[in-house]
Amino acid sequence: MTSTSTVAPPGAAFPRVRRPRRPAGPVSRRRGAVVPYAFVAPAFLLLLAFGVLPILVAAVVSTTNMNISGLADSSNIRFIGAANYTRLVQDPEFWHALTNTGLFALVGVPSILVVSLGVALLLHRSDSGFARALRAFYFMPAITAIVAVALVWGYLYNSQFGLFNYLLSLVGIGPVPWLSSPTVAKFSVALVAIWRATGLNIIIFLAALQGIPKEYLEAAAIDGANERQRTLRITIPLLRFAIFFVTITTVINWLQFFDEPYVLTQGGPVGATTSISLYIFQQGFRYNQFGFASAGSLVLFVIIAVVTLVQLRLRRSDVD
Amino acid sequence: MKRVLVRSVAAAAATVLVGVLAACSSGSSAAPATQGATTGATAKDTGPLKVWVMGDVGPAFEKATADFTAQTGITLQVDAIPWENVNDKLTTAVASGQGPDVVQVGLSLLPTFAAAGALKDLSGVIGNYPGLAAANFPDAVDPKNLGSDGKVLSVPWISDTRVLFYRSDILTAAGYPTPPTTWDQMEQVAKALKARGDGQYGYYIPLWDNTLPVQYTWQAGGDVVGADGKVNFDTPEFAAAVDHYLGFFADGSAPTASDWDQTQGFVSGATPMVISGPYLAKAISEAAPELDGKWSVALSPKDKNGTSLFAGSNLGVWNTSTHVDAAMQLIDYLDQPATQTAWYQAQGELPTNLQALDELSKTGDAALAVYAKQLTEARTVPMVPGWDLIANEMATALTAIGTTGADRDSTLEAFYAKAAQISSNY
Repeated sequence: MTSTSTVAPPGAAFPRVRRPRRPAGPVSRRRGAVVPYAFVAPAFLLLLAFGVLPILVAAVVSTTNMNISGLADSSNIRFIGAANYTRLVQDPEFWHALTNTGLFALVGVPSILVVSLGVALLLHRSDSGFARALRAFYFMPAITAIVAVALVWGYLYNSQFGLFNYLLSLVGIGPVPWLSSPTVAKFSVALVAIWRATGLNIIIFLAALQGIPKEYLEAAAIDGANERQRTLRITIPLLRFAIFFVTITTVINWLQFFDEPYVLTQGGPVGATTSISLYIFQQGFRYNQFGFASAGSLVLFVIIAVVTLVQLRLRRSDVD
Repeated sequence: MKRVLVRSVAAAAATVLVGVLAACSSGSSAAPATQGATTGATAKDTGPLKVWVMGDVGPAFEKATADFTAQTGITLQVDAIPWENVNDKLTTAVASGQGPDVVQVGLSLLPTFAAAGALKDLSGVIGNYPGLAAANFPDAVDPKNLGSDGKVLSVPWISDTRVLFYRSDILTAAGYPTPPTTWDQMEQVAKALKARGDGQYGYYIPLWDNTLPVQYTWQAGGDVVGADGKVNFDTPEFAAAVDHYLGFFADGSAPTASDWDQTQGFVSGATPMVISGPYLAKAISEAAPELDGKWSVALSPKDKNGTSLFAGSNLGVWNTSTHVDAAMQLIDYLDQPATQTAWYQAQGELPTNLQALDELSKTGDAALAVYAKQLTEARTVPMVPGWDLIANEMATALTAIGTTGADRDSTLEAFYAKAAQISSNY
């Protein structure tokens, strides 16, 4: 009863709690403790319902043989312990997918960082109408539907009538198997993902660049620093937090790499572009092996958690 | 990308919850459901029947069944489900128990959904419909060949088979006025056509097609399912099929590009031969009407025999349907020769009713006569659960050998082991 009445008028409760220098009594102290939780509660409940609970359910499902007949009749579901996990580590395709994902991240994360930071620095130099139009231009891939993107890139890459091979033939270079060779296809797919992801990161870097006080750069210029020195010594160090943020989100995105291979190559040829997310998706929703796929998604969850924690740890020591 | 993980985990959670709920409710609702069906028959059940058909056929289906509603008073609610969503949609229906009354199931998905208990056993009621007797349909889709232990879980509806499409103008110019009829001729013609020049090939093998090697195994006189009902690829016939299949890649007469466009390659003449289904005929006529008369279809080239794939779809009654009688009337109507012929004329999908097939093949359409003949020498994919998974493993293994130079024997050994392991998971 009392707690609900404190929650009801939050606007009134705040100043009343804050104003007295010393808390008058136990009642208002309790109010002070409840209010922040009341504000956090909706987000917390949503996180529980749609974040934590599904993970727990997946953990339970991953210890069963859940498949389509289990869905139809729950008496077909059996507890099989860690069998899904043993099967997972024994599956060469799982390791193949994991290696692919690692390779994608190794190529993709630095590329996205360098390209989007570079473009943002260039765009920041001018505030003309043309530069602003360019910003919209670079942002375009981020808001275009992936299926449309894949369709167009599919035509560009096509080995029979694709534009890329046609252009190459004009300068006397033979056809490149963009999506047919296991090695080349990896890069073709990664290129589309890099192209798609830079737009958003350019905007993040531009926002961070605008937050850098002009005085720092002017002071450096007066001290005789040239443009290169100003960029490397003033601008980029001040972008440290933005770079960190972009790195973390980009790493997570690459570890969950899915859309581009799914629509461009379906993970082929010969599994060369099957990322770990795509592998899990295929096992779960194509072959209806929900228990096995849950085991895979839990492993991916742990990998992402560990990688992110390591990055946060490195960042902390960097600040100290 | 992040959403995918969350989404898949959430979906898994939802399916579990729903599955538990469905399991709870199915026990209690089983009795009234059967009761409803029997009383419905006497009290004239007029639906509405929920019907799920696959692909872009919604309006055509409603048109085709207008007469049925007029005759019987049974109203239909038709949902046309895009092919790429079929598996998801059926899985969700199994999980939630909220299925349609009548459902179209592709033959390759049939074992999975039969094993999940999604389809009602019709053996008790099918006797009331002489038009649906197995003798009216090709042997390939006889219930006893669909691996359901004496149950009748589905009734044939539309058929589809694989035949040889060839560019008669190009073959004639290369000195082959008649299409190849044997494996040896096929290899020879493909090689000769490839010699036309750079960027020219003889034969297009879709790398994603996971049935062609099985078809070749049948043609070599073997099977991929052993006498014990388990998949078995480690046979001399499968080895012969693999050699024939890989031979086209080895001598360069088939393109190795995974994004090769079947229709485009046929129209441009770069790949003047391809094994495909009647839908390709439609695609060619739409893409290049000017080619009319310059291409034709022929029976699949033979080795020991010319067995081809019997694809297509059956109709089933969903396990939880309370309108079994009305559903059977609809299926009976759809399988009548007149309805089947009209459906072919509207949609280009081949009938399964033998009488309708026979009548159509006498209309003077040469291609139709070939399809009808091929259907008498055709088999469905093996009716074993998990077949999709195994077939894709096979396609991947053969693609690896044929296009990326993987070692033949070790890759095949790994595939045999994988296939056995997948079977044991079911």
